[in-house]
Amino acid sequence: MIPCNCVVQDAQVSAASEAVLRQNLNAFTEKHFGEPAEISWLRVPEGSGFTASSPSTSAIVSMRANAPVSKADREPLLRELCAMWMAETNQTLNEVVGVISDPLPTEES
Amino acid sequence: MPLYICNAAKGAIKDDAKPKIAADITRIHCDVTGAPPEFVHAFFVEDAPNQPLGEKTAFLFGSIRSGRNDEQKAQIVSQMRQSVETHAGIAIDQIDMVTVDVPASWVLEGGAIMPEPGEEAEWMAKHHPVHAE
Repeated sequence: MIPCNCVVQDAQVSAASEAVLRQNLNAFTEKHFGEPAEISWLRVPEGSGFTASSPSTSAIVSMRANAPVSKADREPLLRELCAMWMAETNQTLNEVVGVISDPLPTEES
Repeated sequence: MPLYICNAAKGAIKDDAKPKIAADITRIHCDVTGAPPEFVHAFFVEDAPNQPLGEKTAFLFGSIRSGRNDEQKAQIVSQMRQSVETHAGIAIDQIDMVTVDVPASWVLEGGAIMPEPGEEAEWMAKHHPVHAE
């Protein structure tokens, strides 16, 4: 499973859009990492999100890859991820933050 | 990025305290790191299961770009906890906070890979809608 965390402003993403985004995120992780997404979805109540000290319209979508991602590969993946998000939410590039992390270091015995 | 998520017990942080804490979070982060305020997200949630409170009343989780030193992180933690105490009236020992480092190259924001610490001005001029032509 690919851990995937979504943080959205409550008023910005409907339940129907959330369902589509969950499907699309799962398709994204299956396509690129060969595993389904394990999605954690956090809604920020209206009046509780701030960007640059002003009411926020930002969404954060982050996931942790199951293998290290090269610099050359990461940016296209991030662009695809954000484009997928924007297509469903009508948010702009300035409102979407995408993060694709490398796997956590494994403990050495 | 940075992203600060403040999880608190239900009703522990009143709505009128949130913009004050968010303003402090933004100011503190920028003062300590030199980052522009446009980068700073501060979100408040209640009893979020993926941000466990444990025995505490509030938990502040900060995802910040890699490259900040231990002294900067200690300042961020100390001053932000103090802000929550001041504006929400929560005892300081009931406020927990951690930060995690995220490499700038892992983050796409405003349509561009985030700049490394210290390279923000050039990035802002090129990419940010307020500053870019």
